[in-house]
Amino acid sequence: MSRHNLTRRGFLKLAGATGVAASAGITGIPSPLKAAQSNDAKSEMFLHYDRGVQSPSFCEMCFWNCGLNVYTRNGRIHKLEGNPLNPNSNGHLCAKGNSGIDSTYDADRIQHPLIRVGKRGEGKFKKVSWEEASQYVFDKLSPLMKKYGPETLATFMHGTGEPYVHALTKALGSPNIVVPAYSQCLGSREMAWILTFGTGVSGHETYDMANTRHMILFGRNMAGALQVREAEDFAEGLARGAKLTYVDPRLSESCVNATDWLQINPGTDLALALGFIHVIIRDNLVNMDFVSKYCYGFDQLSAHVAQYTPDWASNKCGIDAKTIERIAWDFAKYAPHVVAVPPRRMTRYGNDTQTVRAIAILNALMGNWGVPGGLWVRSGVPIDLPEYEEPKQPTTRRADGAGKGEKYPLAPQNLGRTNGMIEATLTQKPYPIKAWMLYGTNPLFHSSAGTNDIYKAIENLDLLIAIDTQFSDTVMYADVVFPESTYLERDDAPFVQKDKIPFIALREAAIKPIYDTKGCFDICKGIAEKFKIAHWFEHSPTQQIADLYKALSPEQAKKLKDDGVLRFEAVDPYPLASGATPTFRTATGKVQLYVPNLTDFYQEHGDDFAPMPIYKDPIMADSKDTFRLLFGKSPRHTHARTQNNWLLLELQDDNPIWIHPKDAKRLGFSDGQMVYMVNPKTGVKAEHAEKIKVTKRIKEGAVFIHHGFGHTTKAWSRGYEKGIGDNFFVSDDIDPISGAAAFNNGFVTLVKA
Amino acid sequence: MSIINKKGNKNQNLAMVIVGDRCIGCDACYAACKTDWDVLPVKEAYRTKVWDIEGEDNFGNPTIRFLPVLCNHCDNPPCVDVCPTGASFKRDEDGIVLVNSDMCIGCKACMVACPYDARYYDETKASVDKCTFCLPRLNNGLEPACVVTCVGESRNFGDLNDPDSNVAKMMKNATSITRLKEDKGTLPNVYYITINY
Ligand code: SF4
Ligand code: SF4
Ligand code: SF4
Repeated sequence: MSRHNLTRRGFLKLAGATGVAASAGITGIPSPLKAAQSNDAKSEMFLHYDRGVQSPSFCEMCFWNCGLNVYTRNGRIHKLEGNPLNPNSNGHLCAKGNSGIDSTYDADRIQHPLIRVGKRGEGKFKKVSWEEASQYVFDKLSPLMKKYGPETLATFMHGTGEPYVHALTKALGSPNIVVPAYSQCLGSREMAWILTFGTGVSGHETYDMANTRHMILFGRNMAGALQVREAEDFAEGLARGAKLTYVDPRLSESCVNATDWLQINPGTDLALALGFIHVIIRDNLVNMDFVSKYCYGFDQLSAHVAQYTPDWASNKCGIDAKTIERIAWDFAKYAPHVVAVPPRRMTRYGNDTQTVRAIAILNALMGNWGVPGGLWVRSGVPIDLPEYEEPKQPTTRRADGAGKGEKYPLAPQNLGRTNGMIEATLTQKPYPIKAWMLYGTNPLFHSSAGTNDIYKAIENLDLLIAIDTQFSDTVMYADVVFPESTYLERDDAPFVQKDKIPFIALREAAIKPIYDTKGCFDICKGIAEKFKIAHWFEHSPTQQIADLYKALSPEQAKKLKDDGVLRFEAVDPYPLASGATPTFRTATGKVQLYVPNLTDFYQEHGDDFAPMPIYKDPIMADSKDTFRLLFGKSPRHTHARTQNNWLLLELQDDNPIWIHPKDAKRLGFSDGQMVYMVNPKTGVKAEHAEKIKVTKRIKEGAVFIHHGFGHTTKAWSRGYEKGIGDNFFVSDDIDPISGAAAFNNGFVTLVKA
Repeated sequence: MSIINKKGNKNQNLAMVIVGDRCIGCDACYAACKTDWDVLPVKEAYRTKVWDIEGEDNFGNPTIRFLPVLCNHCDNPPCVDVCPTGASFKRDEDGIVLVNSDMCIGCKACMVACPYDARYYDETKASVDKCTFCLPRLNNGLEPACVVTCVGESRNFGDLNDPDSNVAKMMKNATSITRLKEDKGTLPNVYYITINY
């Protein structure tokens, strides 16, 4: 039953109480019983609380890494709480963070190293020793690398152990490292920000929402796709009276306090942003002081956006022209204490880099760089951290089309393109990819290449290595499995964050591993030993913590030890407001409204690469009974990795398909009815039916589900097949500039179950 | 520092003050409460929960709002009144309503009597159970688990009788104050406010 309609009254009946009748009967008990004990005696059992032993950590239920204090009683973790001194979360944790204990005590976990015995995907493994598992990798991978070259290995990674998998892959001689956080999530947003401001937004964004006066969120669901400090700042800013313009075809959690909800046509955010820019320039609302000093290409921009009138924008995005003007005026009125926020998972319609470019320009025109309520400037920790030598990135050509001279010349070599790597594995072009190593990633449930294609890609592999804490859907297809200790069971390298308040956080094992598992460092080192490249693994996480202590002053060391975190507050996040001259690491050294470094690509490839964003209509559904599939995050789950956590499942174990009442009516669907989702392009039908939620909260012509459900892994005793998954239905389009995925050009039909 | 007075001082009025529009519906409170108190791992057992309230504005546009609920530690608690054994009781010194599991006979009369659906039956303890305002934590100088973790800083806790307490100040500055089902005459100690900062 969904969380929305469960009442305990029903349960009460089930549990056997007969309500008034029962209580009426029982009130007949003689009253002396009632006063048998004093209140003090009765309270006795409530006066003790053993907090237990505290150890420092940071959360790994998602990748924001909130500060954590772990409390252990008699060797068992009983509670996770936020570390109030950690600037990532200021003592709070979300539902996911609070539910992290189950990640460790879950009996469904991978409990020892495994080698496959059954058919791929059948889930039959035999228990082996660590030695055997590493030897297996050596025996299988060496001949492949000899035959096809070391680049035949591709690794996919997400998690705190990334640096070790990175090092192992490079030391083995393969350039094919992919970090899905780029092409499946942040890539287009980062690319646009770098082209405009010379620096990425990064995973820890720099929007000063707590102090802002007006924020425009372009599909950025601060409350739902929740990361703690951001959500705190969001709630704080609104509580202090900030205005919120929320742009989304769906009314999400973030609308709880929105001044305006703009239910935009999917895929047209760029038109709206260009409309805002047009009004701001037309009505002389630009912060010319900032723009004339620090921006490049204002005249070109003015000429370029003259065509994008509010009427034009309205026609495209479905928001009326008067509203566009009113919001643009109000936004500019509070400049520079305003912020326009691009989405986080900016892998949507294939025009994503240009859309974020327009959003970046909107910020630049307000002159909000380095001022309170705008964009703060992050600083690094002002100490010399221990440095460790790393293997060099091999210069061999990558297989995924990322990098100079390739199809996606701007895509970074150190992050790569997951979508490109899956395609290369599927086509075995430009050269054979015969081995995958997965660290904490689950391409089957996280990809744009269409899950069916990934099954086919996996068939092309001669070796699939998995390092994970749990049996994800893709781990079930692995040939050899290395079980990783969870974040509560292992030391990790110090967490160093550049930020408004830069800091270092510690993670020390709260308990010993409860199964036969190891940290990612030791796993990689074990494999490296077989290949005689273990010299890259000399500084264990525990050693790195010790090295850090040596680099600190005695006072700093004491603080870190006592608090589990070391904050550096003496940095200025608002340099412009303090009178400093900001610097921008772009080609021109200025904020680029016009990007001269795109000009060559523009001439070669056309409008997609224009130095100023050119609007292009989104791909549309071909019939009115075909719906655009939109998906987003639930505040109760992280990606596709927490749907076996008992507590989070309790909060959400289904994934209703949201549909507008008019669409439902036309199809003859009623609320709660079970339907199958079908991909008309591939003919794929969802494995099981799901109920629909009829709501005006979703735009007509689109349907919405949460990401991360519908797992096929039978090893998940609780999460197996709960809800439906988006991964069979999303599109595999690509943003031409960043090379990142564009998921939301997927269309579905619904069939009565 | 202790949030509650030790014995002898009987004039505390412990209360939860929830700034309604700061709640973002994240359910962190639910999860923190369930883990701290080992509440049964079933959906029907919880001490606090957050309702999604979907509605429409005057123009027919959809709206969303979140309502965190928990035991109101009522000043006039019907659950205590109906309890045949005295297992359900209200502490004089601070107003906390508790269930002594040793005395509970599992008749569930209190579950029926509570207008707020605040109670659940714990088979393993053979007792009704509910929010304790985290008395075990309070008694050890810690704030309630749901308050500590509250991402929106919506939940606040303290003694309304102490004019210097955070909650007393918030109540003074509140622009609106409501309690749930006032018409039931239960006199709740959970307040929902709006406030200008
Ligand atoms: S909310 Fe219900 S359980 Fe709590 S004191 Fe009031 S009547 Fe009793
Ligand atoms: S006060 Fe304590 S027991 Fe009551 S809802 Fe909050 S965390 Fe749960
Ligand atoms: S933790 Fe706070 S913000 Fe989150 S749902 Fe609970 S009351 Fe609301």
